[in-house]
Amino acid sequence: MGKNILIVDDEPDMCWVVSQIIQTQGLNVVTAYTGEDACFKLSKGNFSVVFLDAKLPDMDGLDVARRIHTMVNERPRVVLVSGYHYRDDPIVRNAQEEGIICCFLAKPFSNEELIGILISLSC
Amino acid sequence: MSENPIKNSFQIQYEMLLNAIPSSVLMVDRKLQILSVNENFLIKSQRSKDTTVGRPLADVFPLVILQSTNIEESIRNVFHSGIAVKGQKMTYRAPGVPLRIYYYSILPIQSDQIILIMEDVTEQFRLSEEVRRVERHLASVVESASDIVLSTDIDGRILTWNSAAEKLSGLPTQDVYGRYFFDFCDANQKQMVEQIFQRMKTSNAAHTTEFNLLTPSNSGTILISWVFSPMKDDYSKTVGTVVVGRDLAERRKLELQLRQSQKLTALGVMAGGIAHEIRNPLAICSSAAQFLQENQISDDFQKECAKKIQTNIQKASAIIENLLRFARSSLDTEMIEVDLISVLKETIDLVTNQAKVQKIKIHLSLQRNSIVVSGVPGLLQQVFMNIFLNAINAMPTGGVLSVTVNTVEDRVIVRVIDTGVGIPAGELDKIFDPFHTSSPVGQGTGLGLSICYSIIRQHLGSIQAESRLGQGAAIIVTLPLL
Repeated sequence: MGKNILIVDDEPDMCWVVSQIIQTQGLNVVTAYTGEDACFKLSKGNFSVVFLDAKLPDMDGLDVARRIHTMVNERPRVVLVSGYHYRDDPIVRNAQEEGIICCFLAKPFSNEELIGILISLSC
Repeated sequence: MSENPIKNSFQIQYEMLLNAIPSSVLMVDRKLQILSVNENFLIKSQRSKDTTVGRPLADVFPLVILQSTNIEESIRNVFHSGIAVKGQKMTYRAPGVPLRIYYYSILPIQSDQIILIMEDVTEQFRLSEEVRRVERHLASVVESASDIVLSTDIDGRILTWNSAAEKLSGLPTQDVYGRYFFDFCDANQKQMVEQIFQRMKTSNAAHTTEFNLLTPSNSGTILISWVFSPMKDDYSKTVGTVVVGRDLAERRKLELQLRQSQKLTALGVMAGGIAHEIRNPLAICSSAAQFLQENQISDDFQKECAKKIQTNIQKASAIIENLLRFARSSLDTEMIEVDLISVLKETIDLVTNQAKVQKIKIHLSLQRNSIVVSGVPGLLQQVFMNIFLNAINAMPTGGVLSVTVNTVEDRVIVRVIDTGVGIPAGELDKIFDPFHTSSPVGQGTGLGLSICYSIIRQHLGSIQAESRLGQGAAIIVTLPLL
């Protein structure tokens, strides 16, 4: 694969946790603390998956997902990671139906859950 | 034909005079025979001169009057002692005429005669009865009132003290009469009350305030809402003060319940932000704990995981503590020295989560790092919590919430400005009314700002709003500095 994984969360410890889990799978990790920073990094880099927090200080996680959806080539798949939404939250379901996110990971999660998602996305 | 024209002319004049006066005048001899009467008596008793003059008193006055007044005996006594009898009362009803009331006097004169003068006081009597009736009515109004009603002289010494005052204070009237009213106030409020009495001397306006009244019987105090009014005499000169007081215990209890239920509504609004903010540290702890369960991890990584767990447990705990502090029943309503800046910072911490969720930036701009006011910390926090949450609700698509704190002379002014939808001009003066809400049905109680208003008033401050529709709103809270 060789592609990077982008982690977007305004909480540095959260980024640390997700990075640690992903790195065990031998994947490269880039982190962004704001929506703006995430969009900038997405435009420069080549990412296969984005782990995206739903609530960022400058914009809504789903707005970042929508921007990703408009990217022309090599669109990364988006995993929404949130403590604000719940699993069968209509907002989450709609976003999945629209195709702007591919799955949802509720905080707190087990490390296996996250690894499972990575495997299912065949990273 | 008269022998002496001058004497005759005097006699005529005297007779005219006697007939003109509105009193009845009778001359009576020792045998209690009527020698002469004036016109007024004949009119009032509906008798003619022929059936009166030369007749005994007993033929002219009804038996019932003679018996009840014992007037014959009185006249005999005057003949005997030569001492006049004055100002006796007689009620007299001539046939077909309403009851009349007389004051009569029996005066001894020369030539073995007495004068019986009867003055009709029916009207005066009726008026004084009326005055007494009105007085009795007013007294029973004051006595029946469940509010304290008391009056003082110009210096504040108690003159009257109604039953409600006796009941609420436990002090009978005789214990307070003539004593300064402010002697029955809380020691630290005495001076303030004394000043109100000073002001009453020159003021025409009533003064409204709240302070504690001592209840020596249970060595406690009760909070009363007072209205002081200057009492004026007929010449508009201030002669004292009327003080009316209402026991606030019942109202305070209701206010407390209202505040508590409103607080729960605010907690509901914050729930989303809080969930997000607590799940972050939980997720971090959870993952770090899972790392620790793995084999073959380095000592450094193990330490790092433990540290992350500890830090994030503290973070979650701090959020919960803030929440508890806000939610706990504010039974404690004692005014203490409060740092307003700490209250504002703590409250901002509580709403930060919700603001973040709605992409709202919070700016706090301070002149000083500490501003001390007299207040109830929990209540002040509730006020700012309500104002902040209103501002946040007004910015559903994000914005800026600015809080500025300035001190001007003896006041501190807190301005909370949002960049939200604003308040329509027509609603600006209604927003502090109970149950006024711009939220959809079921989403706002409409009590938040009215509770803010009552709390700020209790802190002797003021609260007002400025806004233009579509250009955000500013809520301005002014409190006296300590």
